[in-house]
Amino acid sequence: MGAGEGVGLTLDTTAGRAAPPARRRRRLRRGLATPALLGLPFSWLLLFFVVPIAIVGAYSVDVFVLFPGPHHFTFTPWRAFFSNGDYFPLFVKSIEMSLSVSAVVVALAYPLAYYLALSGTRRKYILLLILVVPFITSYLLRVLAWKVILGSQGVINSFLFWTGWRAEGHPLSFLLYSRFAVMLVLAYVWLPFVALPIFVTLESIDRRLLEAASDLYASRLQAFLRITLPLSLPGVVAAFLFVFIPTVGEFVTPSLVGGTSGYMYGNQIVDLFQTGFPDWETGAVLSLFLLAVILTLTLVFVRFLRAGETRTA
Amino acid sequence: MEGEPFDRRLSRADMLRLAALAAGAGVVAGPTAAADAAVTHLTKESGQLKVMDWVGYVNDLPHHATYAAYLKKYPHNKPQFTHMASEADALGKFHAGAHPDLFRPYVGWVKYFAKSGLVQPWNPKLIKNFEHLNPFMVKAGQYKGKQYGIPDDWGFDAILYRKDKVHPKARSWGLLFDERYKGKIAWFDDITMIVAAGLYLKAKNPWNQTSAELDRTVNFLKKKIKLTKLLWAYESDLWQAFRGGDVWIAYAWPNDWVTMKKKFPVVYMRPREKPIAWVGMFMLLKGTPRPHLAHAYVDAWSSKKSGKWLEDNYGYGHANTQARPSSSQLLRALQLTNPKAVTLPNAYLDRDIPQRPLYAHLWEQVKASG
Repeated sequence: MGAGEGVGLTLDTTAGRAAPPARRRRRLRRGLATPALLGLPFSWLLLFFVVPIAIVGAYSVDVFVLFPGPHHFTFTPWRAFFSNGDYFPLFVKSIEMSLSVSAVVVALAYPLAYYLALSGTRRKYILLLILVVPFITSYLLRVLAWKVILGSQGVINSFLFWTGWRAEGHPLSFLLYSRFAVMLVLAYVWLPFVALPIFVTLESIDRRLLEAASDLYASRLQAFLRITLPLSLPGVVAAFLFVFIPTVGEFVTPSLVGGTSGYMYGNQIVDLFQTGFPDWETGAVLSLFLLAVILTLTLVFVRFLRAGETRTA
Repeated sequence: MEGEPFDRRLSRADMLRLAALAAGAGVVAGPTAAADAAVTHLTKESGQLKVMDWVGYVNDLPHHATYAAYLKKYPHNKPQFTHMASEADALGKFHAGAHPDLFRPYVGWVKYFAKSGLVQPWNPKLIKNFEHLNPFMVKAGQYKGKQYGIPDDWGFDAILYRKDKVHPKARSWGLLFDERYKGKIAWFDDITMIVAAGLYLKAKNPWNQTSAELDRTVNFLKKKIKLTKLLWAYESDLWQAFRGGDVWIAYAWPNDWVTMKKKFPVVYMRPREKPIAWVGMFMLLKGTPRPHLAHAYVDAWSSKKSGKWLEDNYGYGHANTQARPSSSQLLRALQLTNPKAVTLPNAYLDRDIPQRPLYAHLWEQVKASG
């Protein structure tokens, strides 16, 4: 007899009678457990996410204003945003950069995670640790180190001069202060974060499915395409979002290695708040627009994922 | 009375005590001692002096040499610093609740802050070194006859270039827009670029351009921004790019020239359209609880010794006309013996931009198009 059955019996024997105080207390505790457990994270979310977003929203419609004086609810900053021809191309450029980085990083991380999870190597956790080791140092340091590598007199260009592949004084100038530099550094920074969720998903795949595929004469490629890949898709999508969401609003890396052409939408938001003249209304509009687009894209991804899961089932 | 410094903080009893002290001390030792006595009395102000200053100064610890006299006088009241990334950043922080005792915007913002009601005038009588400050810069710190800004560091916005790589066609701001050096140019990430481009394009008043002029200037900048490698907001970013050979031409300050000439053959070119001169102005926040400590701090900054230190270590000029740097090159470059160095016919002194929000908005559009 299982434990569950025992509980069932006990419940049956007490049916129709008033529950003893100990059990009432237990039920009460169980009843309170969920709100108590969820209370803290929900309060946290409310206080540090919903309320600040609401404040930003209030700035975007002039309910709150930075400068004292008469003000009233208006959509003027939103209208100005949609009628301005400069913000959208910058937004599209940032989305493109972020999507490219996310796709490339996922493509690079997948084989890595696959090897770690499915190769059966006993050293996989050591290898995982090695993957994460650079993250013991500061983010800023790691990004700045790229300046030393990518600069006109940096490691790569010096190597090219030394080998004679590039003439002295004619460095590859696109390496630093460029869109390429931003994408490269972002890819480097986010690679481990992408590899980890994919690794976890791959590792949780029931190996008996792969054995069954093998027994049914499926080739390794067929087994991968029909079993491993579909089952690891939730991890892939999660990993993709892990990169896409923060990078689309990124501003630190572009300001360090991006130069003029690597300027992103996140930089524009920061600048609106503190450069030239504070324009919190437009800054708030740009922030909320970014949030809305990311939420929409996330929902689309999740929907796609669910549809995929249903098909797999 | 509106605009009078410190009156909010002084009770009638304080005023009587101050008057008695000043009178007594004045009889004994003359006016200077009276001011000292007044300051001594009134510096029983509580709390640490709060200074909002530029990141470059705050992060550079040796810069405490510029207020060494203050530290000597008040060893137990070291200033507590907070950062300002720009005047706009400071303005946003004030409206968001920050309240330092003093901060340092540049001369173009004096009128804006004076009109904003966020600051109060200084009392020059409490700044002993005030009499040695450059009168043109002192005047630039005034609004409606009151001394809202105490001048301190100053310099020029001009063009720095490597003479081994760059051969300008003319001594002009046009070098920043020269197609021959695509990918080797750095602009300053500030609305002053609209002013510099306005000077180059011969706008009637680059600080207050008409709509047509602004359209032309902004379109010009949007077209030319493709030539730039970098828009620098912090000098350290410019130095890294310059040192690394990524940039050969830059909108720059004297300090950048002093720093770069240690490594490269560089020229700090004064364009024929004239450089833009800037002067740092200490401003006193309205209702500050430590006005006299703030005056003592600014007095320390205004000394000849501090001025020399600043010139030697930063390559900036100092408003104290007695301060002289060790380098004769810097002396010449900044024309430190010329009291009118920052004004016409030598340079345009930076000034109020009446359409500042519009300029800022347009500058953001220029950057977005990069």
